[in-house]
Amino acid sequence: MYPVEEKQGFSVVCLHGEVDLSNSPEARRTILNCLKKLRHVMVDLSAVEYIDSSGVASLVEGFQYARSNNLEFGLIGVSEAAMGVLRLARLDQVFHIYPSLDDRLGNGSRG
Amino acid sequence: MSVNTQQQGSPVVEVRNLVTYYGTRKILDDISMNVCEGEIMVIMGGSGSGKSTLLRYMLGLHRPDEGEVRLFGRDISRLGGREWQEVRRRIGVAFQGGALFNSMTVGENVRLPLREHTRLDENTMRIMSRMKLEVVNLSGFEHLMPAQLSGGMVKRAALARALVMDPEILFFDEPSAGLDPVVAADLDKLILRIRDATRVAIVVVTHELESAFEIADRITVLDRGRILMIGTVDEVRNSDNARVRNLLSRTSEDIEVDAEDYLQRLTEGAD
Amino acid sequence: MAAGVERHNGPQRLIEGVGRRFVAGVEEFGYGGTLLVESLFWLLLGRWFRQPVRLPAVAEEMMSIGVRAIPVLVILAFANGAMMAMQGIYTLRDFGAESHVVPGIAMSVVREFGVLIAGIVVAGRSGSAIAARIGTMQMAQEVDALRVMGISPVRYLVAPVLAAMLLMMPALTVLANCLAIVGGGVFSVMELHIGWVTYFDRVLAVLSSDDIAQGMIKSLVFGVLITLVATANGFSASGGAEGLGRATTRSVVLCISAIVVADMIFTFFLSR
Repeated sequence: MYPVEEKQGFSVVCLHGEVDLSNSPEARRTILNCLKKLRHVMVDLSAVEYIDSSGVASLVEGFQYARSNNLEFGLIGVSEAAMGVLRLARLDQVFHIYPSLDDRLGNGSRG
Repeated sequence: MSVNTQQQGSPVVEVRNLVTYYGTRKILDDISMNVCEGEIMVIMGGSGSGKSTLLRYMLGLHRPDEGEVRLFGRDISRLGGREWQEVRRRIGVAFQGGALFNSMTVGENVRLPLREHTRLDENTMRIMSRMKLEVVNLSGFEHLMPAQLSGGMVKRAALARALVMDPEILFFDEPSAGLDPVVAADLDKLILRIRDATRVAIVVVTHELESAFEIADRITVLDRGRILMIGTVDEVRNSDNARVRNLLSRTSEDIEVDAEDYLQRLTEGAD
Repeated sequence: MAAGVERHNGPQRLIEGVGRRFVAGVEEFGYGGTLLVESLFWLLLGRWFRQPVRLPAVAEEMMSIGVRAIPVLVILAFANGAMMAMQGIYTLRDFGAESHVVPGIAMSVVREFGVLIAGIVVAGRSGSAIAARIGTMQMAQEVDALRVMGISPVRYLVAPVLAAMLLMMPALTVLANCLAIVGGGVFSVMELHIGWVTYFDRVLAVLSSDDIAQGMIKSLVFGVLITLVATANGFSASGGAEGLGRATTRSVVLCISAIVVADMIFTFFLSR
């Protein structure tokens, strides 16, 4: 189970280690559960060593769910490795990506 | 692209003294080479050089007569069913003709490995397959049948399928064969982009020099079943080996005649 | 070359050729056997290894092997039944034994001809289609692609066919039996001046459950034979379009031969 922290009106889901085929369903469930409680969600990827397509697909699903429910969904602390995977599918232009939660709050409201 | 890649991480493909026969004819003779993590290795040679055969042995489609092939450090001819399965999940292969299944749509083709090997949610699988189609610039072609695609699109769809499980080694057989130069160049760029983003090791088999020089970190030059040389693009370009030079200048080489051998070939089996 | 060598070479070559053929034949037989064992393995235990044989694929095969064969089967079975009645009545009339025609039709249809017609129709249609499909996939490296994806080609391509054959062959045999008997009935009713009720009474009077079982068992064996011959020919296809044509033709011929020979062997043992 991935830890979820409640901060400043956001549920921050902290993914860590390797997010691959074996545990991306878990990540997906955690993210969707938060969104189903109608929480805005930030996914913290700073502790992620590796994320594969199934992990990224889970993020996409979360983002889509958030958008159709007028919730905010963003990524924070995206590591270089994770960024490479996002960039390959040009998803870096799709997700809202912030260095940290504070940066998001400094940015003013969105979503 | 000619960075020194000798110490670029551990080898993921190792071929040791591989010797293979087709019937009684020797096809590959004492092949030894390796491919490292994050490296693009191009296996180059003319037709009949044995490059496609070498690929088939790397994929474990045949059992070596002598020598061994190791993937991720494990001798693949000694793997049990489950272990083989594990290894196969970590490799992706784009075949020369695409080898897409004609009874399925492009999207279903790309999803097939996921469907067979994972228990992911249907929705996740769909997103994953579409992401890979985006990577190869085939978004929106998901619902077409393979027969409706052009040659270049088939290759890209096959690439998407090979990538869908996020392999650690990608094998690509003749990416540019049969494509017009512009499409072939696009495919080369795509291969480089994929390597840069994912650090996947890529093994490309090709007879196209342009393509080989464009993408390779190292090149293995095969000729008549033997390795002529293994080296960086510059090393191959500047090689003074006559056969390599011939291959590069594409002059049809004056075949040196070994009189004894030649006579033997012509008269063998006749009586 | 020297005549002495030639004379020596002739018979030696012949023997060598025969030997090579024999070995190839045994090899093919063995290959068929492994296909069968492996298919059964996947059908029975695939689910346990999390690699099930997909039911939609089986359903699709059932459609193409069984359901789409029905029109041809109907015509052939009906015509065959009618022919048996005609031949039977004309030949037996000379002996004043026309009344034995109906039991004769019933017995030979249920034991022999129903299943044989079903077998030949399926062999002709699916024996070629399956070999052609697998042969095409083999040449397009699709079979290799399955293998490197870790998907057993046997599980994916052979097992659904086998399952469909085992389900559809008995069904087609029952259908062929019924139609052949009806076909025989049309002529018998007219020529022998008996009613339909009498005809069916006589038919049912001679049939035992053993006869029906005999037909069913044969139909399963035929289904297995067609599957193995067709898929094995498909997998061994090579050499472009021409090779594919050769493999397809060979498949149909071998399927029908296998069926007829197996039928003969069966009949020999079962009618004792």
